[in-house]
Amino acid sequence: MEDMVSKGFLIFAENKGNVDYVMQAYALALSIKATQTDVTSVSIVTNDILDDTYKQAFDQIIPIPWYDKAGGDLSAEHRWKLYHVTPYDETIVLDADMLMLKDINDWWWYAQDHDLLFCEKTLNYKGEIINDSVYRKTFTVNQLPNTHHALHYFRKSETAEYFYKTLEFVVNNWAWCYGKFAPEHYQDWLSMDLASAIALEMTGYNSSADLCSPFRFIHMKPGVQDWNPVPERWTETIPHIYTRHGELIVGNIKQYHLFHYVEKDFVADGNIISKLKRMIDGR
Amino acid sequence: MTTGCIIFAQNTVGVDYVKLAVFAARRVKQFLNIPVSLATDSIDYLKFYPEHTEIFDQIIPISGNTNQQKKFYDGTLAFKTAEWKNLTRNHVYAITPYDRTLVIDSDFIVNSDTLVKALENNYEFQIYRKNFDLSGWRPDAYSRINQHSIPFYWGTVFIFEKTVSTESFFNLIEYIKTNWEYFRVVYKIDSPLFRNDFAFSIAIHIMNGSTEGDFGWELPGKMNFISDRDIFVSMEDSCMKFLVEKQYYPGEYTLVSTNDLDVHVMNKQSLTRFIDGGYGV
Repeated sequence: MEDMVSKGFLIFAENKGNVDYVMQAYALALSIKATQTDVTSVSIVTNDILDDTYKQAFDQIIPIPWYDKAGGDLSAEHRWKLYHVTPYDETIVLDADMLMLKDINDWWWYAQDHDLLFCEKTLNYKGEIINDSVYRKTFTVNQLPNTHHALHYFRKSETAEYFYKTLEFVVNNWAWCYGKFAPEHYQDWLSMDLASAIALEMTGYNSSADLCSPFRFIHMKPGVQDWNPVPERWTETIPHIYTRHGELIVGNIKQYHLFHYVEKDFVADGNIISKLKRMIDGR
Repeated sequence: MTTGCIIFAQNTVGVDYVKLAVFAARRVKQFLNIPVSLATDSIDYLKFYPEHTEIFDQIIPISGNTNQQKKFYDGTLAFKTAEWKNLTRNHVYAITPYDRTLVIDSDFIVNSDTLVKALENNYEFQIYRKNFDLSGWRPDAYSRINQHSIPFYWGTVFIFEKTVSTESFFNLIEYIKTNWEYFRVVYKIDSPLFRNDFAFSIAIHIMNGSTEGDFGWELPGKMNFISDRDIFVSMEDSCMKFLVEKQYYPGEYTLVSTNDLDVHVMNKQSLTRFIDGGYGV
């Protein structure tokens, strides 16, 4: 029987349309391997077939459970299942379209006092804390915690299990839940951020959205960069370079920790991936 | 450890910077009680200000010219295009006679002892980053060098100590100046004119590893300023009066007064008129 890994990163990826989320998860896994000193285990949750190159980057490849592709499950939201499939005692969940830029070992230390911890704070590439009045009106007017599902932590515990069961309920009944808990600025589509915020509200685990936590990431949605006018794509407005040492410079400003690049083709040209592979091979 | 102030003054056809420097130096001596030296390429003009021997600790000759031309406004409705000599600021490291040096523009008027506290600090380089526009309504054009780029620092006032780091910093500014065309493209600066504020901002950013860092410690308070679209009216002791341009009403102004506040008076014409004896309007 395989030993349980105690701490690790978990990435959900399911290719949809033209977007290769598995490749994004692969780039993220490489960036974790290249930057982390202590916790380096990365697992992917996917039903896509991974080629041998991709397989090497992941410690475990976990199929999405309770999945009925024939029944139209492809467009369904499966991320509430992460708690049930994680191979780790302690898990940090990341969105696939991110890059790890620094060792975040201290985050594990902070998180170990929690059963569940969500990122509440994001920065733009200038290092300014985002006060998001563009994309997150429904959170503020409905007084919901400003959760980002893209970065959160949980440990195997009753608290986390109950939260994820509640999240399952919210995801599967999102329209009703949104009407009940987020009626102002009603959002007519399912997002994991809002579903997580509502699940936190329903469970009373609001303190899991901890403003003091070190969990934060750089969010590259154009609308939160304090630009006027707001472009459709940030990559067409400011230059960026990823160096062979793994430094990401955006608009002449060095980026730190975790970078949520948002644009689906950011790593598609292979440039960043090849540099990450060289960094890992060169160790 | 010696401490003193240096004011740069390079006269042009449009502005008698030596006159402004004599005025500014008096304020420094009154409120900060430190010796003041003048760095100038316009030594001939000193004969018009015989009191300079009592005011200035040293007269430091500098040279350096520029073909840069800039629009200098005098209120919202009048302007003239004149020469802009601003290429010698980074030479201050080599020419300063002091171990710790306060450098100010000749149009920075000291009205308080705020900078005394900064002169007592041990930071090797201090400069203003925050600002306060006395107009109260103009959009903040000085938090970043542009909306896509790095934080803006004011080359108007700074304090430095002679160290290896600050020597590197001023050398870096020289490098940026020499390669200005390159740097202004990289940092998305529209104007081709070399500007010390931009060069300082870029150099501080580089010194800090292209992120936020400790080099360029912020001076206490904010850089209070009026634009050259506003008019300096008068001053008495440490109280200054200004007419600041009104929003939506070009040519109309609002009267504003300050007390015990150091102010960067960008309208040099009105400052000159006041020094000449009378009101700046």
